[in-house]
Amino acid sequence: MSADDPLLSVRDLRTVFETDGGTVRALDGVDLDVRAGETVAVVGESGSGKSTLVRSITGLVDPPGRIEPSSSVRFRGEELVGRDDRGYEAVRGGHIGTVFQDAAASLNPVYTVGNQIEEALWHHRGLTGAAATEAAADLLGAVSVPDPRRRLRDYPHQFSGGMCQRVAIAVALAARPDLLLCDEPTTGLDAPTQAGILDLLADLQADRDLGVLFVTHDMGVVAEVADRVAVLYAGEVVERAPVEALFADPAHPYTRGLLASIPARNPDADRLPALDGSVPTPTDPPSCCRFAPRCPEAFDACRAVHPESIPVGDDRAAACLLYPADEPRERAVEIHRDGHDGRNGGTGSDDSRESGDGRAGSEDDRRGNGDGESDAEGSP
Amino acid sequence: MSADPSERRAVISSRWSYVLRRLVLAVPVVVLAASLTFVAVRLGPTDPVGAIIGPTGDPGRYHEVAVQLGIERRVDGRYVAVPLWEQYVEFMTDLFTLQLGQSWVISPETSVYAVIASRAPQTLWLAFWSALVAVGIGVPLGFYAGLHPNTPADYVASVGGIVWRAMPNFWLAIVVVTLLSQSGRLVGIDWAALLVPTDVVTSPSLTHLHRPERLAAAIKGILPAALVLGSASMGNEMRIARTAVLETRTERYVEAARAKGVPRELVVWKHVFRNALVPLVPVVTGEFFLLVGGAVLVETVFAINGIGRLFFEAAVQGDLPLVGSLLFLFALLTIGVNILQDVLYTLIDPRVGYER
Repeated sequence: MSADDPLLSVRDLRTVFETDGGTVRALDGVDLDVRAGETVAVVGESGSGKSTLVRSITGLVDPPGRIEPSSSVRFRGEELVGRDDRGYEAVRGGHIGTVFQDAAASLNPVYTVGNQIEEALWHHRGLTGAAATEAAADLLGAVSVPDPRRRLRDYPHQFSGGMCQRVAIAVALAARPDLLLCDEPTTGLDAPTQAGILDLLADLQADRDLGVLFVTHDMGVVAEVADRVAVLYAGEVVERAPVEALFADPAHPYTRGLLASIPARNPDADRLPALDGSVPTPTDPPSCCRFAPRCPEAFDACRAVHPESIPVGDDRAAACLLYPADEPRERAVEIHRDGHDGRNGGTGSDDSRESGDGRAGSEDDRRGNGDGESDAEGSP
Repeated sequence: MSADPSERRAVISSRWSYVLRRLVLAVPVVVLAASLTFVAVRLGPTDPVGAIIGPTGDPGRYHEVAVQLGIERRVDGRYVAVPLWEQYVEFMTDLFTLQLGQSWVISPETSVYAVIASRAPQTLWLAFWSALVAVGIGVPLGFYAGLHPNTPADYVASVGGIVWRAMPNFWLAIVVVTLLSQSGRLVGIDWAALLVPTDVVTSPSLTHLHRPERLAAAIKGILPAALVLGSASMGNEMRIARTAVLETRTERYVEAARAKGVPRELVVWKHVFRNALVPLVPVVTGEFFLLVGGAVLVETVFAINGIGRLFFEAAVQGDLPLVGSLLFLFALLTIGVNILQDVLYTLIDPRVGYER
């Protein structure tokens, strides 16, 4: 693999949960790339599948949930899907660190924080005794916990919420991973603490050239941390774009709705426009646009055709029947309809997707599959 | 570990001061328990003088005995009752100076210490094995069921645990005794002759336990009674252990431990079980009280000469010094087990006993 290849390359990731009410398709064909040194934010409401995405990457999906075998999650080109627990163990923590929401709960209350950091040091770096204590103290220092040597012997309940999150980051970084998955790491913290954690993550990322996948529901946090953004809705990525472009000119109606509900962007509004309703729980294969019932711009075809991800500009794509915008609406709908058929029809798209040739690759593939006439580069 | 010794000491001393505080707080509880013992003994239906003299004794000795007991005293040639509060003070003084007196009825003229000492080993042996059966079978079964929820093994363990728990020990004791006595005819294996010859009901001999065949006989002799006495505790501990593991398994720190690459077995042993022990501590120590109550019944059915049976006999026959001493002993044991429970808590869960 070359230096430009992504650290993490997720293709057609499908995670389903078998429930009494049917099969819940928590992730339904997610494509995503994270490269070294960059932060990709995944933004979405509750129930959009954000947390499942983080867990699916390192295989932390327990029955009744499972990752469909047709999915592909590659780390440095190596396939992770289909491994057993043993196969995942070196990756978890070793190559991919994870920071969870509510750090106080993600630290075991009956062991000292030193113990929990040294546990990771032992499993991935083989450090024990004084060497492990030394390394653990260095890690606590690196995440700006004051008096690290003494605090190693403290228990999680002796730390504040923000300090707990710093400890959790130290645990995640113990084995010097290349990729950090952050599942809402600042949710539930007060604003100054939140800012401190975000600064810390930015510093650590710069120091270690970390790739960061940052999952959040907070558009304000997205604006601060992200290089690129993927908007997740009901288990599907509905829009992806560099962060500036996304905020300047959101393509998908859902993204527009999310941005409209940020207070700071709408200082004059008496009432913020809110999206009515909530994210549906998808149980059937997509046969329509899942956002259509809440979409202010929905038309008849939205309830009959599942939108494909279509390039809508430089390094950006949206899954919406409004695009390509330069085509007549009927023609655009046809592109999506064909794309859907084409995806189900051939296996060729899977092969090309797995080649993992960068972030725009999958959209181009599908475009090529579905409709040979339209030109990806020519889209607005 | 390059731990700073003074820091280490501070943590330990904080835990010890917690234990010390618990000990000091136990003092008023002990006094209260002793007072309640006095109430139960002196205000109960038994006339102590009548109990000593017995139905065939000489009624003319009544006052003489009453004076001996400190219930009456002679003033100007007449017998007058000693005020209750004076009796109370005397009773408490005796109890706390550990002058427990002599047995009246069960074995007259023998000190209470000697009577209890002769019976205690049987009960300790029974309690040890029933606790071992309960904890040693109930907790592992519950942990296993909790790790494999909704599997056939889980259903068998759960339903078995509930059924086992639901059988009252006085009934189960009779059933077990009957089955074991008839085992030769029922399944062709005679329990009494199995491995080492023992009786189904009797006190196991607890002498010469260093000799393997004597030890085996003592264990085999106590096992049926221990199984019955531990049955309720075992079912309880199984259910609580299963629930505790089920709950702990879904804790975030368990997922976080997996996310940092800790192997599955170690996640279970280090992160799940240790935390699942916390809700088990009060259950296991709470079973102790079941053991005390159950020992009375089980020892009677299995004809084991233990403290439970002694207490029952003493209460029925009005041997008040024995009853009082045993009540007080049970109270002390109960308080002791409660303190032990708190010590276990501080050992397992660092959040207990810390002052900010």
